[in-house]
Amino acid sequence: MRRVAYYKGCLASLSAKELDISTQALSPKVGLELHEIETVTCCGAGDIHEAEPDYYLHLNARILAYAEATGSDTLMTVCNVCTLNLRQANHTLQGDEALRERINANLRSVGVPDYNGTVDVRHFLWLVAEGEGYELLKAAAHKGLKGLKVAPFYGCQILRPSKLLGFEDPDRPWSLERIIEACGGEAVDYPAKIKCCGFPIIQAREETALGELIQPIEQAKEAGADAIVTPCPLCHLSLDAWQSKLKAATGKDFQMPILHLSQLIGVAAGFEEAELRFKRHVVSVQPVVEKLSV
Amino acid sequence: MDAKHDVLVIGAGCAGMRAAIEAHDAGADVAIVSKLHPTRSHSGAAEGGINAALGNAGEDNPEIHAFDTVKGSDYLGDQDSIEIFTREAPGDIYQLEHWGAVFSRADDGKLAQRPFGAAGSPRTVYAADITGHVLIQVLYEQLVKRDIQVYEEYFAWHLVEHEDRCQGVICWDLLHGGLKALGGKTVLLATGGVGRLYRATTNAYACTGDGMSMALRAGLPLKDIEFMQFHPTTMYPSGILITEGCRGEGGILRNSEGERFMERYAPTAKDLASRDVVSRSEQTEIDEGRGINGSVLLDLTHLGAERILTRLPGSRELAMVYAGVDPIKTPIPVRPGAHYHMGGVETDTDGLTEMTGLYAAGEVACVSVHGANRLGGNSLMETITFGRRAGRAAADWALSHTTVEVPQAATRDAERELKELLDRTEGERPWRIRDELGQTMLKNFGVFRREDQMEEQIEIIEGLRERYPSVVVEDKGDVFNSDLVQAIELGYLLDVAACMLQAGLARKESRGAHSRPHDFPTRDDENFMKHSITRWRDDRPELSYKDVRFTKYLPEERKY
Amino acid sequence: MQVALKIWRYSAKTGDKALREYEVDAPEEATLLDVLDIVKDKVDGSLAYRKSCRMMICGSCGMRLDGAAVLACKVRMYDIANSGRVPVISAMGNLPVVKDLVVDMDPFWAKFKAMKPYLQPGYQQPLDGKEYVISQERMNVIHKESLCINCGCCVSECNSMEADPDFLGPQALAKGMRFVGDPRDGAAVERLDAYSSEHGIWDCTRCYFCNERCPKGVDPRDAIAKLGAEAMREGIDEDLGAKHANWFVTSAKTTGWLRETELVPKTQGIVSSIKQMKFAMGLVKHGKVPPPFPPHVAEGVKESRALYDLVKQQDRQGALGIVQGERALSRIEPAEGPEGSQGGWGSRDQADVTPGEAPTRKYSDDQTKEAQTKEAQ
Repeated sequence: MRRVAYYKGCLASLSAKELDISTQALSPKVGLELHEIETVTCCGAGDIHEAEPDYYLHLNARILAYAEATGSDTLMTVCNVCTLNLRQANHTLQGDEALRERINANLRSVGVPDYNGTVDVRHFLWLVAEGEGYELLKAAAHKGLKGLKVAPFYGCQILRPSKLLGFEDPDRPWSLERIIEACGGEAVDYPAKIKCCGFPIIQAREETALGELIQPIEQAKEAGADAIVTPCPLCHLSLDAWQSKLKAATGKDFQMPILHLSQLIGVAAGFEEAELRFKRHVVSVQPVVEKLSV
Repeated sequence: MDAKHDVLVIGAGCAGMRAAIEAHDAGADVAIVSKLHPTRSHSGAAEGGINAALGNAGEDNPEIHAFDTVKGSDYLGDQDSIEIFTREAPGDIYQLEHWGAVFSRADDGKLAQRPFGAAGSPRTVYAADITGHVLIQVLYEQLVKRDIQVYEEYFAWHLVEHEDRCQGVICWDLLHGGLKALGGKTVLLATGGVGRLYRATTNAYACTGDGMSMALRAGLPLKDIEFMQFHPTTMYPSGILITEGCRGEGGILRNSEGERFMERYAPTAKDLASRDVVSRSEQTEIDEGRGINGSVLLDLTHLGAERILTRLPGSRELAMVYAGVDPIKTPIPVRPGAHYHMGGVETDTDGLTEMTGLYAAGEVACVSVHGANRLGGNSLMETITFGRRAGRAAADWALSHTTVEVPQAATRDAERELKELLDRTEGERPWRIRDELGQTMLKNFGVFRREDQMEEQIEIIEGLRERYPSVVVEDKGDVFNSDLVQAIELGYLLDVAACMLQAGLARKESRGAHSRPHDFPTRDDENFMKHSITRWRDDRPELSYKDVRFTKYLPEERKY
Repeated sequence: MQVALKIWRYSAKTGDKALREYEVDAPEEATLLDVLDIVKDKVDGSLAYRKSCRMMICGSCGMRLDGAAVLACKVRMYDIANSGRVPVISAMGNLPVVKDLVVDMDPFWAKFKAMKPYLQPGYQQPLDGKEYVISQERMNVIHKESLCINCGCCVSECNSMEADPDFLGPQALAKGMRFVGDPRDGAAVERLDAYSSEHGIWDCTRCYFCNERCPKGVDPRDAIAKLGAEAMREGIDEDLGAKHANWFVTSAKTTGWLRETELVPKTQGIVSSIKQMKFAMGLVKHGKVPPPFPPHVAEGVKESRALYDLVKQQDRQGALGIVQGERALSRIEPAEGPEGSQGGWGSRDQADVTPGEAPTRKYSDDQTKEAQTKEAQ
């Protein structure tokens, strides 16, 4: 079993609780022993980076420091945005000694352990797309997806900027497809799979965001997908909860079910509703469930 | 006439933009004509820096700068222009900085100055290794601030002479198509150099000697046209420039035996000797078998990652992309490449040419500041100082005159020429002539020149000029016909090449960048302390000479 | 080596478009630009594209390779040719195409000029006529932004601009930051005010395509974040985007976790939230709107509050707080996919936007009505 520190972030704690539940249920099956960091707070989601950049560094240094304190060398995230924010902070702090000293002094004064830069932040997707995690995933996905057509939606901040993330080629990612195939599904290809869902501006600039949001959903639908899978709960929120707004704006009712990555694998591993919590989705996942139970 | 202005500036590099800004500030209605968007101009590729005797990095003053420049020019530079240049340079630099140029700073917060080739004191103001880029940006910003009109992607083709003055230019609108006649009470050429004559050059595709050829065909003299500077550190095989700044920061040239060979050729200045000295040394090492793949090595490995990443990041990226080496770990293969043209359209110290109403500034002009060889960092400064002076002079003249006219005949002639060119459906594609020209110029008129090779080259150029009138342009369309433009540019190259060879063959001495080690290895002040003057007569170049203007520096032996 | 390419040929004048395949012989060190030159010289002289310096500094040769904007002179063709892949070359996105690979840059320059991109000196000009005395460290705040060569690669890929063509865009805003962060410029507050309005800073969707595509390492998204930081420091935070960002800060220093439920009213205001009632109810049904009471407080919230106070005391706010951690041109090489994982090769076989079509999409009330009318017919 691989011991990793686990940071679930804000959405997985609240509105996307289904993500946390399915991840926790799935992890032991893919060889991950999760040690949830209890005392942490929001990573800033890119907003604090903009509004209070120094505060953003402190908050993330704190998360990383507590992750180090669990004794693990890996901090697992389940959200694109958390992944980028934490990795960016990690990279910034690792490269600047003076900055590190100042922030550590501040952390110490409020009772937080030191940040030493010894933890690597990795998204759950990366841990199961290759190596030991992937082998165990293949074994765990015994029930299989029965050729279900799944469109992978990567979103932005797990691919770009690649100089901070670097797991896979940002223009030719392969991890979600590989997992879909390993789970017995058929990966559907379409250009907008690496484009933006619009979440960061979905409230401040709804019209623009919807203009972005429609692309993956429409293209996936046209390519014949039964469902979309995404590794980011913020993308999930846009794609799922805001899909109804697309209907209001364009008259098109896509009814495209959106799955979290852990749910997709969970389904293939034979999870039941208690561990999947599909009922929490706004767009009904029933069509997928029915297709798989036939 | 499609439009008229007080001042028409042809070319939007550093010289062109600085001239236009000055003309505007002098109250003239100025417009720029440029075959590229201004920020695409080749001035932006300059890397190492811009010289002025600010004295921020050590004792320095305009006199020392002037002496260095005169010596660097191998005593062919006109000393009155050089004195004006070095005296006004500091003010021009401060002006640029006040406009917002993002220069690198010294520890005390003042403008940083780095050592450069053949400079008595570090006086090269720089912006990491992207100085040209920074200058282009600040000048374009000032252009935008003044809302100066730019005829963008207009290819200047023929100067219009009418009633003994230059009154405009006939252009081809590259973006939309169609000939345009633009009138200007004064016209200012700022079209840059002609590096594309050579297969190995640092220059952009656009550097095809447009202004030099247009002026030549309009009857104007080209001065010192045989002097082409070969920059010592251009990458193999692309010819892309690696700045002298690398050596300014401590980089060292080595031959295949790992020897720092410049210690032999220039015991005092070593790798920071004058460019012609370094190019010759490299070429000798290569010719004598101590090169690798026709190149020597520029070694930066001892500078350390920090210094390279802060002061030379652009050079590092260039080396990684185009030579496939990381200079932090591996030396860069370099060889001499055609870089800068010291010669050009003859002007006085206010940029005025022989023709009333026609001015020139920058690399296209020959004032002469650089004589037989230019110091690194002096060219960027020249564009600013003389761009400003020429812009002011052009504006003053224009404001004191009222009429401007472009006769119909000028447009009709151009239309005829265009039709002839485009109607041709069979013939040779220009690239053949262009490639042959580039290869043979490098071989026969490169760093080292010999009588027999130059004579051969004259024949070759004659042959190419005979083939040129039958080139075929495949694109017959209006919109963005770069095929047409490239064919016309080839014509410009051939004209300038013919002039260069004639003047080069006739100069029976070695001076500055004109090096004839086999037949005339030394400088001959008695017979050749003079500028070559080439005119176009009966469809061929005609050579004469003119004295160098001295003030106080007497010629000495030139050693580094 | 043999190089094969597919190029989208297009004429705005006639509307003709076609995907043509070319195969030529090129030297091993050839870049995409070199290959285009060979095609133009030896195969089809009517191919139109811009070029000049061929050394990544003039910014002329921006174009799309398999739907991603690049500088043609920067792409070495060796690996592509050897892999047997035939890339599709098309014009940059988000700008009208004139011919083949040449786009109309007027909208690009218009947005650039709208930023008032020239120094507006304040009152502290040097009295001795010499240079402003500024430390290199202070100038480094705008180091990356000053690298921009106006190539358009960022604009080409901007997801926000695709949905809203009026968005000022990454290039213009990065240029704006170049001035806001320049200590010699006296108009920072006016600039921030102007850039914070509609189609400005808060329209950025944070897709990071601009950072990814920029061939010079300018990181326009980071520049936009710096503008946001500076704007908020100056108290220019009326925009919904700024309110949205502020709520995250407030959440972090009060409960530690994001106070999701209150996010909508805090961002958009009470009135707008009431209008969204129907939508909100849909979310509530599925538990997507956690009740604001009791507040979901993080265990270690005391620490995040204390850190906030410390940060405020030390006053490193605004753009100076965004440390230039990574040097402009650093790279991480992506991990090799395991054997056989090609991952979506197919989707990159054609340009995202076929030339000739309107380069952006937008959903507005008018379009909705249009769509609904069409459906009714």
